[in-house]
Amino acid sequence: MAIQSAPLRDQIRAEGRPGAELDVAISPRRRRPPRPRFNALTAFWLLIVAILILPIALFLAVAFSPALLSQGPDWLTLSAFSTALTGHLLLGFVNSLVIGIVTALASAIIGFALAWIVIRTDAPARGIWTGVVFALFLTPSYLIALGWERLLEPNGVLQTLGWDPTAARDVFYGPVGIVVVLTVKGIPFAYLAISNALRGLGHEYEDAVRVHGGGAIASMRVVVALLAPAIWAALAIVFAESVSDFGVASTLANDSHFTVATFELYTAVQAFPVQFPVASAISWVLLIFVVLALLAQSRALKGRSYRVLGGRSRRAIRRRLSAVEKVAVVIGMSLLVVIALGVPTFGAVSASLIDGLGSLAGTHAWTLANYARVITSPDLSAPLWYSMQAATIAASVTTVLAVVCARLLAAGRTNLSSRMLDMVLLAAVALPGIVFAAGYIFAYNLPLTNAMGIHLYGTTTLLVLAYIATALPSTSRLLVGSMSQIQDSMLHSSRVHGSGAIFAWLSIVLPVISRPLLNAWLLTFTATLLELPVSQLLAPPGQQPISVGITATLAKYDFGGGTAMEVLAILTALLVVLVATLIFRLATPRGWRTLGTAK
Amino acid sequence: MTGHHVIVRGAAKRFGALEVLRGVDLDVPAGTFTVLLGPSGSGKSTLLRSIAGVERLDGGSIHFGTTPVSDHRTHAKPEKRALAMVFQDYALWPHMTVRQNVGYALRRLHLARREGARRVESVLERVGLGAKSTSYPHELSGGQQQRVALARAIVSEPELILFDEPLSNLDADLREHLRLEIATLTRETGATALYITHDQSEAFALADEVAILNGGSIEQRGSAEAIFRRPATPFVARFTGLAGSFQGTTASVRDGRAQVRVGENGLTASAGDGVNPGVAVEVMVRPTATRLEEVEGSGMRDGLRHRMPARIVDVAYRGRGYDHVVDTSHGLLTSVFDERAWSRGDECLVSIDPAGMIAFPTS
Repeated sequence: MAIQSAPLRDQIRAEGRPGAELDVAISPRRRRPPRPRFNALTAFWLLIVAILILPIALFLAVAFSPALLSQGPDWLTLSAFSTALTGHLLLGFVNSLVIGIVTALASAIIGFALAWIVIRTDAPARGIWTGVVFALFLTPSYLIALGWERLLEPNGVLQTLGWDPTAARDVFYGPVGIVVVLTVKGIPFAYLAISNALRGLGHEYEDAVRVHGGGAIASMRVVVALLAPAIWAALAIVFAESVSDFGVASTLANDSHFTVATFELYTAVQAFPVQFPVASAISWVLLIFVVLALLAQSRALKGRSYRVLGGRSRRAIRRRLSAVEKVAVVIGMSLLVVIALGVPTFGAVSASLIDGLGSLAGTHAWTLANYARVITSPDLSAPLWYSMQAATIAASVTTVLAVVCARLLAAGRTNLSSRMLDMVLLAAVALPGIVFAAGYIFAYNLPLTNAMGIHLYGTTTLLVLAYIATALPSTSRLLVGSMSQIQDSMLHSSRVHGSGAIFAWLSIVLPVISRPLLNAWLLTFTATLLELPVSQLLAPPGQQPISVGITATLAKYDFGGGTAMEVLAILTALLVVLVATLIFRLATPRGWRTLGTAK
Repeated sequence: MTGHHVIVRGAAKRFGALEVLRGVDLDVPAGTFTVLLGPSGSGKSTLLRSIAGVERLDGGSIHFGTTPVSDHRTHAKPEKRALAMVFQDYALWPHMTVRQNVGYALRRLHLARREGARRVESVLERVGLGAKSTSYPHELSGGQQQRVALARAIVSEPELILFDEPLSNLDADLREHLRLEIATLTRETGATALYITHDQSEAFALADEVAILNGGSIEQRGSAEAIFRRPATPFVARFTGLAGSFQGTTASVRDGRAQVRVGENGLTASAGDGVNPGVAVEVMVRPTATRLEEVEGSGMRDGLRHRMPARIVDVAYRGRGYDHVVDTSHGLLTSVFDERAWSRGDECLVSIDPAGMIAFPTS
């Protein structure tokens, strides 16, 4: 080894200074052939391959090569695609595509307006509108659809109350209703994408337009242009969410006999004999839709990105609305709340309080009997207990894994492991839940899997694994921001001041990310508790997750019981959120809770 | 307490293709204050972090006294090295109060609770933050945060305190105040101190000994005065402050002094390594060696000092006087100080003290 400061060493020796006696020849490190080692990272990757990559890859491969996985005679064929792209299956794709486009446009427009009102005006009750957005974010689409259905269906709430909803039903049961529900579900995504960008957009760009002679419209055009990346992101996200949605597909769309692609996929997997190659081909087309949306987004921007967030940005000024404008805003927003949450909530709650709704039997009087029945009947209460246990395990495991993923992602793109994980998680976020579920059924039901001694098909373990796999990508993304904010020096500082690696992590990192961890757990818990597509396809025999229990009970025309289960499930989710937040507030030191809050 | 005697031998470290440390040898005697001075990318942070145990060396060794802490077999964990560190970004833990941040460093001493609290209060009083012990880091100013970091570093009376450019994020006035506090409090503890900075004036003000790092190796080590008066390399001369330089040819060399012909001028300068008669050299001029004089009535020498005709190019007010940029016929000289301001375009003479000129062979 060339040591450039060798003269210094000679000087030390000549001066007889301490340390000279320690001078040792430094031999180059002996290079040994690398030995494969099984460490924590390898175990983590094996898990990611087992729960995320392999099931989906095998399932997607079967569309091209049924023989490879014993699903047909052909080793390489496109016949599954020709089946998927003809007749009612093709109609399903066309319907999904049109609905996706209309929904994306409607959600982006409403989301933009909402973000503008909340961030850029002094409109009254802005906190409520933001709260509504988050409530919508957590509400599964099938619950919104079911709420509307309970009101409008024959012998439904409105008819029981003496109104004839036939005209409204004719409009709502079909593409219009589907677009309304999916738009309502798309608004939170559009709002979050656009409001984040709008919040970071300083007022100086609008000031610059105004001082150079532009009017209010010209200034708005500049703002819209600057927000283009966020608007395109909103369009792409809502489109992807809408074409992949299974909640509305299996409820409102199915009940109104409107064909959409995700339900066709479900039918292909549930058919006898099972048509895995066709299901796989449908999944490919759905994936292509999502990829096309992302490509359209990137093409529209042509690589442009506006870096508008800087330390020198001036805070935007809220526009003072006139009294008339304020009234108009409140009316408009109230209408939105009524359509998005009011009607479904009223539908579900009122249906749960009517005796014998949907049947000719019963008194059709107001009663709490449905709740009493759900609580006392093991058949009706078991699904909620089952889902709570599964959601608790899934949320806990997902949060732990998401911390590992977020840590790897936050480590940067220089590392191969983190770049690969980034790609896998990004692809998995774009994957519809129903495709995940179908992939799990396929992969864990293969003769090969059984031959390997893995007998998970039809078990709660597989259901929970699928819950974890579907939740992991988004939960990891949620935690990356917090993990990236932890400077290495905070951990190093703990180490040099005497803490071991584990204590340093527990005493420094855990408190700093405690709130994001709690949020991640709660989000995963509530999403898993009410999850539909994976539950529908992977529920083990004899066990029903709550979403399956609700739809099954409703399918038996026990509308009172089904909606009471629905209301109790939502109340349970809210109670868990409340209790967990309260425990966090009472049990953690003040310093844990003041992180990230303003002075 | 005497502090660690830190001995670094052949320290080597690379990040991918980038060789950051190239066999560094360094001695930090027990109880002394040594400053590692170098530009960005010279490897000083990596060396400091390797001594802390946060980075692992690729080659070479680090001993604390006779105990190896890093070599090809050993890598003592940071928490086992009995040291403390003040970080550039302070690295205070945001979820802990000032008292908790400082008290954290006492954990390894396993003190009784009352004794720990007493020590924390005492050290907070010494850094002037007794009244802020229940505040959180985000409730403090930058200077107060840095004081907390300093208190945390000294509270456990470690054998070695490492400073990673601790003043670089502060304004000039606060920097001077805290520099004094660091110097005083660190010396009071008796710990060995190793401090890295890219600021020459900070290094010279703090250090018992300065080591200058460039491109992953140490170029020179010694007292601040020795380095300033007798830089070993052109890099050290430039990095420790120059007014400018002239190109010339060595006429003769005697007793470590070189006679150099620069145009029509004959200059006397200290001879650096490799300066021999007939060799093309660069004569480097320290700002402190220069002063301005009127043209009229002056010869080209004033005792031992040289005089060169020049013209004022620019002038900047510096509080106690004015720095000037002057154009000699052989090149620009900057930071030429005078108590009064000269006007741009004025003709003048630059008077240069030969003790502030060093010649190195032109590379």
